[in-house]
Amino acid sequence: MDKPISPLHLLAAFATGGLLTLMVHFNGELGRYGNALFSSWTAHGTGTIAAVVFILALGGKWRYENAPERTTPWWAYLGGLSGAMTVMVTSYAVNSPLALSGTLALGLGGQVLFSLAADHWGFFGLPKRQPELRDLAALALVMAGSAVIILYGLG
Amino acid sequence: MTLNILLAILAGVLVGLSRQLNGKLSLSTSPLVASFWNHIVGFAALTIIGLSFGGLIPDGIANIPWFDYIGGPIGVIFVAAGSWLLVRIGAANTALLIVGGQMVSGVVMDWFMAESFTVAPSAIGVTLILAGMALMQMRTRN
Repeated sequence: MDKPISPLHLLAAFATGGLLTLMVHFNGELGRYGNALFSSWTAHGTGTIAAVVFILALGGKWRYENAPERTTPWWAYLGGLSGAMTVMVTSYAVNSPLALSGTLALGLGGQVLFSLAADHWGFFGLPKRQPELRDLAALALVMAGSAVIILYGLG
Repeated sequence: MTLNILLAILAGVLVGLSRQLNGKLSLSTSPLVASFWNHIVGFAALTIIGLSFGGLIPDGIANIPWFDYIGGPIGVIFVAAGSWLLVRIGAANTALLIVGGQMVSGVVMDWFMAESFTVAPSAIGVTLILAGMALMQMRTRN
C-alpha cells in the first residue's frame, strides 16, 4: 500500500458507512415490531426484489464480457449464508450481558482482524496487501474513535 | 461469558467473510449482481431457519409503516458498494472506512433523534476517526 487511498474511494467508503447507519435503523424498526429473524428475513426478501429491479433498470446484464474474471467458484455464492449467520449470532450476543455496546465493540475487533488477515494472505484469491506504518496508525485512530463512541457515547 | 465474547467476535468475522466472498463473486459478475446473490441466498437460508424454528411471521407486524421496509433496498446498495470497494482498496481499508462512516453518521443521527445524547465522548470519537481518515490520505513516499 505505497499509495494513499484516492479521495473518491475514501468518500465512497465513508458514505457507504452512512448507508449502513440508515439500514440498521430501518431494520431495527422491523425488529422492534417483530423480531430479529423477521427483520433480516424481510430485508433480504425486499433486497432481492430491489436487486432484480436495479439490474433490470441497468440493462438486465447478469454477466459482463469485460469482467476481470471469467469463472466463478461455487463458494463465491455463499456470502449471503455468512450474512444470514451474522444476524443469528448478533441477536444472540446482544441479548447476553455484553449488550449492544459490547457486541458492537467486539464485532468491530473481529471484523478488523479478519480483514487484516484477508489482506495479508489474500483470502479467496483476492489481491494480497501489506499495511504500512501509516495504515496501522490510521487503523488505531479509527478503532480508538469507534470504541470511544460505542462504549461511552451510546445512550 | 467466554462463549458470548467469542460469538460477538465471530459476528464481526462473518461480516468480513461475507464481504470477501461477495467481492470475489463481483469480479466475474458485477457488484450489483453479487449483491443480488448475497440477498437471495441469505433469504433462502433465513426461510429455512424460520420454518425450522418458528418466529418468521411474528404478531404485530401489521402495524409496521411502509417506509420501514426500505432497509432491504438500502442493503442492496450497501453490499454492492462493499464489493466495489473491497477489490479496489482492500479488505482492511474497506472495513475501517465503512466503520468510520457508520460511527460518524450514527453520532449525527443520535444528535437529532436520541432522547439522551452524550456530547463529549461522541465529539472525541468523531475527531479520532476523522484524524485517522486524514492520515490515510497522506503520502509517505513519492
